[in-house]
Amino acid sequence: MTGIEFYVVVLLVYLGTDLLAAWGLNLEYGISGVANLAYIVVIAAGAYTYAILSLGPDSGNGGFQLYVVGWQLPFAVAVIAAAAVGALVGVIIGVTGLKRIRQDYQGMVMLVISLMAVTVVGADTGFLNGQAGLSLIPNPFSSLSPAVGDWAYVAMVALACVIGFFVMRRFTGGPMGRALRAMRDDEHAVAAMGFSVIRLRLMSQAVGGAFGGVSGALLAAFIGGWSPGAWAYVETLALLTAIIVGGMGNDMGVSLGTFVIAVLLLQAVQFLPQISSHTGLTEALGWIILGVLTITFLWVRPQGIFKERRPFYRSPGETERSAPGDSATGRVAAPRA
Amino acid sequence: MPTSSDSGGRETPALAVQNLVAGYGDFAVVDGVSLEVPVGKVVAVAGPNGAGKSTLLKAMLGIARVMSGKVLLDGQDVTSAPLEKLARLGVGYVPQLDDVFDSLKVLENLEMGGYLCNRVERQRRIERVLQVFPQLQAKLHRYAETLSGGERKMTAIARVLMLDPKILVLDEPTASLTPELSRVVLEEQVRPLSAMGTSVLLVEQKAVAALAIADWAYLLVRGRVEVSAPAAEVLSDPNMREIFLGRAAAEVAARSVDAE
Ligand SMILES: Nc1ncnc2c1ncn2[C@@H]1O[C@H](COP(=O)(O)OP(=O)(O)OP(=O)(O)O)[C@@H](O)[C@H]1O
Ligand SMILES: [Mg+2]
Repeated sequence: MTGIEFYVVVLLVYLGTDLLAAWGLNLEYGISGVANLAYIVVIAAGAYTYAILSLGPDSGNGGFQLYVVGWQLPFAVAVIAAAAVGALVGVIIGVTGLKRIRQDYQGMVMLVISLMAVTVVGADTGFLNGQAGLSLIPNPFSSLSPAVGDWAYVAMVALACVIGFFVMRRFTGGPMGRALRAMRDDEHAVAAMGFSVIRLRLMSQAVGGAFGGVSGALLAAFIGGWSPGAWAYVETLALLTAIIVGGMGNDMGVSLGTFVIAVLLLQAVQFLPQISSHTGLTEALGWIILGVLTITFLWVRPQGIFKERRPFYRSPGETERSAPGDSATGRVAAPRA
Repeated sequence: MPTSSDSGGRETPALAVQNLVAGYGDFAVVDGVSLEVPVGKVVAVAGPNGAGKSTLLKAMLGIARVMSGKVLLDGQDVTSAPLEKLARLGVGYVPQLDDVFDSLKVLENLEMGGYLCNRVERQRRIERVLQVFPQLQAKLHRYAETLSGGERKMTAIARVLMLDPKILVLDEPTASLTPELSRVVLEEQVRPLSAMGTSVLLVEQKAVAALAIADWAYLLVRGRVEVSAPAAEVLSDPNMREIFLGRAAAEVAARSVDAE
């Protein structure tokens, strides 16, 4: 496998896992209106879950890394478990958002959760190997030759995206998406229709969390390692930028935003010439560009590239404009032809 | 008469509040209100801006904070019960503001209203409410955000009718409708509903129009019930009318009643 080929594989896997994550976060933030700035935590939960379930006991390999569980479960089982844990963590995070506080405070709470989670996991070496993180996380295609195995992995991620897309559409397009959007508009009015707002919210957190969990699992299995450095809170901001730039609440927009922001932009900065006196500058530049883009879009085009909806869409058959004073004629009860 | 003193032998009111004190935070807006909505009757609540009418409704529906007192639904204590539970018990509520879902199309708003029933029944009800508001037919695929004030109200009322509520709680349902459409909504929609057994609690600024279809009227001033009387009596007694409507409005009302 040539270097460039491998690079394409990496990009595609990043794109796929970022797509899954962005869809999940969009469900929570764009559709349901929960400002989950701790979204990276569910991704991490999925990654760690996959890692400790698929790795053997930590006493193997000379016990150079310490972690719990180590059951050596098959790939599919570990991924499904990662989805479940992601959902659970998503719900737990979501509970903090149940109290009716303003969305900006909610965002702050989530941010704190995100910081706390990294600190706690990093501090305890016996749990998930602390700051050093886990390595040698099994890849399901490791028995194949690298060339075949890598493309097989890409195909599998693509499959996960296809499945994820249909699952997501159920929640953004159908009656469920309707209820979630309505809840974002007005919780009381949704409750007045007989919906349980708590159930709706937690459900969107669970589904969003499951997406994040799978995303994290697929990423960890591909990279082979996972440590607190991989899930700093800023990672959530990258996804958020993708959503804001692409178009919050719009499936196509979010997908495009992910492609442009999370993949192209963050990769493009890697190609900037390194300045040896300022190592890490290029990476920082990526974040600076992200921040500037977010601010620019929030100022200039808050709805993103793709608007969530087309507000001036007219019903089929609706005339150009109802006659002014139409409703004042008193003929209101007469059915129109 | 819906006062607690002589309720002994009568049937339990559909909805009642007893000595309700309610508001926001520690601030009581509703200050010891008692009120009853008998089964199949229309009860109107009038009062100046800021009197606490909307807050009274919100407190009954578990949205505003109840500090003391009780809310009874069919005699059952539902004080501070969550709104969705009340919806399942047959209470339909149209808020004064935020009355439709902006991000949804009109049709989707109606479908949301039919959440608690099955698909066939939902479709049947959509057809029924479209007969009530035929002008919504042409707007079904418009996002509610783009509707006019009147169309919004129609959508809001249509949406609550989708619930087929036993008890209807309406907070200024005719705000931003033309006088004519207000009359149509009140006389041709709300009134017949009550004839079919629905109990209606109606907060309305257009007091004359509301009183005309109401069985009983309350006047709420600064969080207290100042007057509680049969609506017909309020309309026919010039003094009462004056109190209810304020002097200027009463004169207009007198002219419009005399003209009929
Ligand atoms: N969410 C809130 N928090 C704090 N105070 C509120 C809130 N909503 C209303 N109030 C206050 O409570 C009082 C009563 O308001 P309410 O909306 O019940 O009046 P209203 O009788 O419905 O008036 P209107 O006829 O204008 O609709 C007002 O002084 C208002 O400022
Ligand atoms: Mg009000």
